[in-house]
Amino acid sequence: MLDDLYGVTSDLGNEGIFFCLSGPMSQELLVEIGGAIKNKMLMDEASKSTMSQVFSIIVEMVQNIIFYSDEKLEYEQLGETSSCNVGLIAVGEEKDSYFVMSGNMIKNEKVNRLKNRIEKLVAMSKDELKKFYKEQRRAGPDEYSKGAGLGYIEMARKTSRPLGFEFREIDENMSFFSIITYV
Amino acid sequence: MKDIHVKETKYTPEIIYTAADNTMSIKGKSYPENADEFYAPVFEWLEKFFKEDNELHLTVNIELVYFNSSSSKALLNFLDMLEDAGDNDMKIVVNWIYDEEDDNMLEYGEEFKEDIDSIEFLLVPIESA
Repeated sequence: MLDDLYGVTSDLGNEGIFFCLSGPMSQELLVEIGGAIKNKMLMDEASKSTMSQVFSIIVEMVQNIIFYSDEKLEYEQLGETSSCNVGLIAVGEEKDSYFVMSGNMIKNEKVNRLKNRIEKLVAMSKDELKKFYKEQRRAGPDEYSKGAGLGYIEMARKTSRPLGFEFREIDENMSFFSIITYV
Repeated sequence: MKDIHVKETKYTPEIIYTAADNTMSIKGKSYPENADEFYAPVFEWLEKFFKEDNELHLTVNIELVYFNSSSSKALLNFLDMLEDAGDNDMKIVVNWIYDEEDDNMLEYGEEFKEDIDSIEFLLVPIESA
């Protein structure tokens, strides 16, 4: 592995990725990630709007991992078992835009539902997305959501190109879900 | 009603109510994992305020630099509560205060405004820090 680490980092660099973190995610970590990306974008002299859009997508993606990733790290703390959800978040640049990607394991039985949900959003125009966002915000989350059920709609509204996503089946139980948005 | 002061954290806003001028303010960032949980005590307080206080007016300053989607839902619930009080003849003014350079926050403000009928909702740009 050690002799390959340069390979990993140069692969990321070649893809335009300037930040990448893979492992257990937490709210505290999210705050730090936000700070690191902000500093980098300040150096780029990115506009306030761009910075807040990128930050917004990072927040929705990392909180999705915290809520929904099916890969968990369990640990003992003061005699109690706690768990942390594992996933990956990456931020990069491509020509004139930034992109934010995330990935995490999900159980195969959940794939179809999530896939249908995102496909529906990808097919919508910006106006339809706005209407749908407001409806959902008014209606409240469905039974599968732990937040407000608005995260993917928010991403679909913010992205300047259609959301990209992929499900890769890993074994009979799990798939790897990845998603990308552009600002 | 007594004053309240919820201190700002890295991902939750400062919330203040001062009885002296009947002003409530929500200021900072709002992206807790669970926004319902964070806002529940504030909503409880507000319910009590509307029930017990005979104030005729309330000014609410919302000055958020960022909020996540679950906070957006909580803010809508908050505005709904204000609307109900507005329907009951309380004069309520909401100032949506945003950085003039941040189009996102302006857009969010406009969208809340569209969903509100019975209270005054003002979009207030401030100079970028």
